[in-house]
Amino acid sequence: MTNLNADLAAPRPRSGRRVLPRWSPKLAIGVGIIVVIGLWGLAGPVLVGDPDAIRDIGLTAPSGSHLLGTTQTGQDVLAQLAYATRGSLSIGVLVGIMATLLSALFGIVGSYVGGLVDEAFSLLSNLMLVIPGLPLVIVISAFVPASARGSWTIAVVLAITGWAGSARVLRAQTLSLRNRDYIQAARVAGEKRWRVIGVELLPNLLPLLASQFVFTVIGAILSETGLSFLGLGAANSATLGTMLNYAQNGFALQRGAWWWFVPPGLIIALFGCGLALVNFSIDEIINPRLRDIPRRERGNRRREPRPAERLDDGAVLDDGAVLDNGAVLTVRHLSVTYRTENPVHAVRDVSLVLRRGEILGLVGESGCGKTTLAYAINRLHRPPAEVTSGSITLHDRDGDDLDVLAFDRDELRAFRWDRLSMVFQGAMNALNPVLTIRAQLDDVLTTHRPAMSRGERHERCAEALRLVGVDPRRLKAYPHELSGGMRQRVMIAMALLLEPQVVLLDEPTTALDVVVQRGILRELLRLRTALGFAVLFITHDLPLMLEVSDRIAVMRDGRIVEEATAEQIAAEPRHPYTRHLLDSFPSLLGERGAFIRAGEDERGEAARPPAAAPDGGIAAEEVR
Amino acid sequence: MSAILEVHDLTKDYRLRGGLRRPVLRAVDQVSFTLTEGRTLALVGESGSGKSTIARILARLEKPTAGRVVLRAPDGTQVPGRFYRDYVQMVFQDPFASLNPFHTIAHHIARPLRLHGRARDRAQTALLVDQLLERVSLAEPALARRRPHELSGGQRQRVAIARALAPGARVVVADEPVSMLDVSIRLDVLKLLARLQREENLAVLYITHDLATARHFSDEILVLYRGRVVERGPADEVILAPRHPYTKLLAAASPDPLARGRAEQIGAEDEIDAASAATAYDHYTGRWTGLQAG
Repeated sequence: MTNLNADLAAPRPRSGRRVLPRWSPKLAIGVGIIVVIGLWGLAGPVLVGDPDAIRDIGLTAPSGSHLLGTTQTGQDVLAQLAYATRGSLSIGVLVGIMATLLSALFGIVGSYVGGLVDEAFSLLSNLMLVIPGLPLVIVISAFVPASARGSWTIAVVLAITGWAGSARVLRAQTLSLRNRDYIQAARVAGEKRWRVIGVELLPNLLPLLASQFVFTVIGAILSETGLSFLGLGAANSATLGTMLNYAQNGFALQRGAWWWFVPPGLIIALFGCGLALVNFSIDEIINPRLRDIPRRERGNRRREPRPAERLDDGAVLDDGAVLDNGAVLTVRHLSVTYRTENPVHAVRDVSLVLRRGEILGLVGESGCGKTTLAYAINRLHRPPAEVTSGSITLHDRDGDDLDVLAFDRDELRAFRWDRLSMVFQGAMNALNPVLTIRAQLDDVLTTHRPAMSRGERHERCAEALRLVGVDPRRLKAYPHELSGGMRQRVMIAMALLLEPQVVLLDEPTTALDVVVQRGILRELLRLRTALGFAVLFITHDLPLMLEVSDRIAVMRDGRIVEEATAEQIAAEPRHPYTRHLLDSFPSLLGERGAFIRAGEDERGEAARPPAAAPDGGIAAEEVR
Repeated sequence: MSAILEVHDLTKDYRLRGGLRRPVLRAVDQVSFTLTEGRTLALVGESGSGKSTIARILARLEKPTAGRVVLRAPDGTQVPGRFYRDYVQMVFQDPFASLNPFHTIAHHIARPLRLHGRARDRAQTALLVDQLLERVSLAEPALARRRPHELSGGQRQRVAIARALAPGARVVVADEPVSMLDVSIRLDVLKLLARLQREENLAVLYITHDLATARHFSDEILVLYRGRVVERGPADEVILAPRHPYTKLLAAASPDPLARGRAEQIGAEDEIDAASAATAYDHYTGRWTGLQAG
């Protein structure tokens, strides 16, 4: 699990969470709108005249003296708008604060404390959720006598009906955070419960709280507008809703007095829009994946297939590699770059030859580009990753040389799984939980072998399971009925179903126990001998590779630093990094050595072998 | 050398949710051992063997169903519960998860210093934080002000070790402290733990699934299988001359760089039969307990 996805440079949400949203046009526009409307609500009332002054000019259209015209009683609409904006905003913010506090109390505290408290709190918030909000607000408001119905009353009523949704969201997030190791570590350190919640937990919930706050403010302004429009708003208050109410009662619509009802409507719409834009940006902190919206694939233009030159066996190519007509897959000068703000060259000028029926171990640590390489070979890499140079050639069983990078969609479909299949890291969790094993194996055959009959397909699926040492009766089982090792075997059976010439295994056993791993590797070696496919085995476990593979390529910072037979790597590794990797695995049965317990030669990480580029893990994270 | 943490017949049951009968899963079954100053005990086992549960019980994150954990102060008296955490601290498995992404490195070390009364004021705290970081070979300037995501996995785990030492712990429970790290830095972190142990005469419980590091890093090994101790003894004896079928199986399955070409030779047996699972071998007494398995 160490480098799950690290090679893919996938964002790791748990590391490096930002506190402030990243500046973007979206956020700028959102903040701009909110600031302008907010300033208008704050300062507007000072700038305009008395909104209640009645003039005997009646309903007049906008003009120089009344920029937004007047109401039927001659009141200045602009002045009213200023006070109404202030009224609506203050209720919105007030409700936002109160509802967020309530949801934090019920959502965060409840779920952290757990047990009966949590049960009671979540029951309460679920109850509040099923009670329809606006009708309840209407009923409550109606119960409070109009004279006592101030802004505060309305705000409290709205807060009480508006917190439950947020509480559920916060509860879900808290339940996931409270089991994080850093919360446990704080407990082990002896922190008091309230401090764990307030200092360790809460800051990590801030983006979510902010987003819920914004959401509640929009909701509160809209609800208040609805209430006031119905005449159930606060007594003697001026909000956008009461403005609309008066406009409605003054038949503004029928009399075509757009200047009376359009401005308040517009302000509500714009303010909601601004808050929504801000919320998008906050969402990006919570889920960094939203930030990197994949760019359009540029590699779509079809490349002309280049027929690989047929050279004699053993001919030395320009890069010094030896051409081998026993090869099944040739990768030459392949480079893959993540085109992000700071482009990451994940794979640099890699050349590899995989011979028919051999096991090639690709060994490297997290962030070295090994998974990116595997994905590129499969053409599974997605923007921002891009193959910038090089070629991948599959030497087909019937003698054709296929340019993998030039495949169009249909050719790719025929290529993947049929000629080259892959078992992904953590693949045992990639089985669909609601389908039986048979349905999932069968699906591969119906897609790739449409001519097969039902009986033949069943026979083939059963045979594939037998191959990997799983009882064919398990075809009827669902994934959860199988152990992790068994599921991984099923995934390997699926990869072998179409008798591919190449199988890519990406850390196929990393998440499994050693005993289970051993069993699966044993099957794999047996099958390789029986079926003759070639394996590209990607792992960080060099000792394992020394045991099972024919040749080993050691990869670091996107480059292959050493490639040799397993015997050579074991006996006389040439590259210092290879030596360092070998030294990193103490021998189980060999000399104990001065090695760990003496500790005299304890080296810091700074003393790692030369070419120690910035730590791979960090490089991968920067891709975000 | 005196015993400082005695674990007697520790048992932990988990009630599985659902169903009328609420089945019980016994995660840890009558496990006893003693941690001694200056010595490392390794708990070895695969996933589901209960080793992490034992760590969590010792760190007081879980309560045992039965059994006792007795902590002794240097003078031999039992340490009362509220001081337990002054003595026993834990290093978690995943350094990417065990540091709070929101807080600085300094916060992670300063809090335990303050909580356990090791530092009284700000200046003293800062001084001790720097000293602790230096002790774990993280003497980079301004590192204390950085946040976890700016550090590599190895650096983070060093911070986690410094945090465990901050309260002045005498017992460190290290739950797979290097399994999440890149292979090339694992030994560095283990060597660091070993050095600190020597310098401070710590008692270390090293929990791992990796037999090779267990052998080299610890004095004594306990092999766990489904919550039970099936073999115990001095590290070299348990690994080089395993007696229990499960230990033999584990040793045979572990990759070994010296054992090239061995892969195809190993027998096809993946399971331990119930009879031998119920037995245990003790290298100290040379006796089998439980049902006799030969």
